[in-house]
Amino acid sequence: MTLNWSGKRRWIALILVLASAVVMFNWPPVVPVIQLPGEIYPTGEIFGLPITNTFAGSVVVWILILLLIRVVSSRRPRDGGEVPRGGFYNFFELAFEGLYGFIGGIAPERYLGPIFKMFMTIFLIVLLSNWLELIPGIDSIGFLHPHVHKAEGHYELLDGFDTATIGGVYYVNGQCPWVSPDEAATMSSEALQARAEAGCHSGIPAMAGEAGDAAAADDHADEATGDDHAEEIDYHHMEPGDPSVPWVILPYIRVPSTDLNMTLALALIAVAMVQVMGFRALGPGYLTKFFNFSTLFKSPLGGIDVAVGLLELIGEFARILSFAFRLLGNIFAGSILLFVMSFLVPVIVPWPFFLLEFFVGIIQAIVFGLLTAIFMSLATVSHHDDEHHEEAAAGAH
Amino acid sequence: MEEAVMLAGKAIGAGLAMVGALGGGIGIGLSVGGAVQGMARNPDHTGTIQTNMILGVAFAEAVAIYALVVSLIILFVLS
Repeated sequence: MTLNWSGKRRWIALILVLASAVVMFNWPPVVPVIQLPGEIYPTGEIFGLPITNTFAGSVVVWILILLLIRVVSSRRPRDGGEVPRGGFYNFFELAFEGLYGFIGGIAPERYLGPIFKMFMTIFLIVLLSNWLELIPGIDSIGFLHPHVHKAEGHYELLDGFDTATIGGVYYVNGQCPWVSPDEAATMSSEALQARAEAGCHSGIPAMAGEAGDAAAADDHADEATGDDHAEEIDYHHMEPGDPSVPWVILPYIRVPSTDLNMTLALALIAVAMVQVMGFRALGPGYLTKFFNFSTLFKSPLGGIDVAVGLLELIGEFARILSFAFRLLGNIFAGSILLFVMSFLVPVIVPWPFFLLEFFVGIIQAIVFGLLTAIFMSLATVSHHDDEHHEEAAAGAH
Repeated sequence: MEEAVMLAGKAIGAGLAMVGALGGGIGIGLSVGGAVQGMARNPDHTGTIQTNMILGVAFAEAVAIYALVVSLIILFVLS
């Protein structure tokens, strides 16, 4: 299949660009609420644990990987022939062989199989979860949720936006930041007029009167009965579009690499597999890398070996942190970059940043897998071997 | 007023935390500079040099990323 960009496709692309410009000017994007832990779904639990939207993102990644396995294995030539089977299969084979050669230059030949399997697994998971941030709608379609913060048993209203609706589909109205009745009372009449013209619901004079009275009544009730009464307002089951609370979007799916739980889990698996590889290659002797007492009483510098072993042990734990934070930091910062760029200038300007994030996704996936592969190959080499080699080489001379 | 002071403190702290990116930048510059010189002198070993360069860059970058994570935590997690 060849792409013919000189024909009508370029006009379709141009029309889409213009349409997105029109849409963006009429319904301006909203800078989302940024928080580090995954947002918890308002409903639903698995085994008593809350579901986060980054978990939903990793489920999407698993499904994508299963689809990839299905597609690639169904196109694989079964008769042993090397007949090309179409674009995607050939591309995957090219990438696979390239990566196999790449790891073959690093890993010892004897353990190339297990090391490459580990590398490829981590590479695919990290790559797909990084690229999830490039899909439109992943971070922008979600539950409408009142932006409240529960502190000391009392709900506190935070910044948010008004909602609007088109044919039953609610969206956050970026032209209308939510104002509380108290703030509306201090605004100038021109500002209120402008808000009313923009179609805002919160803070326009008519609403401000009613909502202000209601809020004042609530305040009195709170003072009268204490904090128990505040619990009765169920912020988690409100009608969407209620102008008395600020609304934000809680995305259905968020990029799993932006959650420390996912990156830390991958880092723990990677570092644990490094140890497994070390034991597999060297047996119990692998532990002498960390607890090296063999030269303690033989050599005057034996204490240094003990200290070096302890440093190696600390280094193993530092690897977990560095694996986890490298991936988290890169991808979280990247997705914030995309949010902010799309908020500032919604059309054309974010495109180069999407390209940048595309490459950052590949590089971080390769770095994560490559570091695992390198640590695994280092773990298969005993440091005593080097000394033996040197002695052998010295003997040969 | 109290909230404004808190916000200002968060912003200043996050900005100061990002000073740590300085070291990462210098380190990446040095390692890539050295790798490019090596590749120019010895183009046959481009593959090996590139692999080691990417590794070194990833390690140097990790330090800057720690600073970034600290500043992100200051901005979005501290309340």
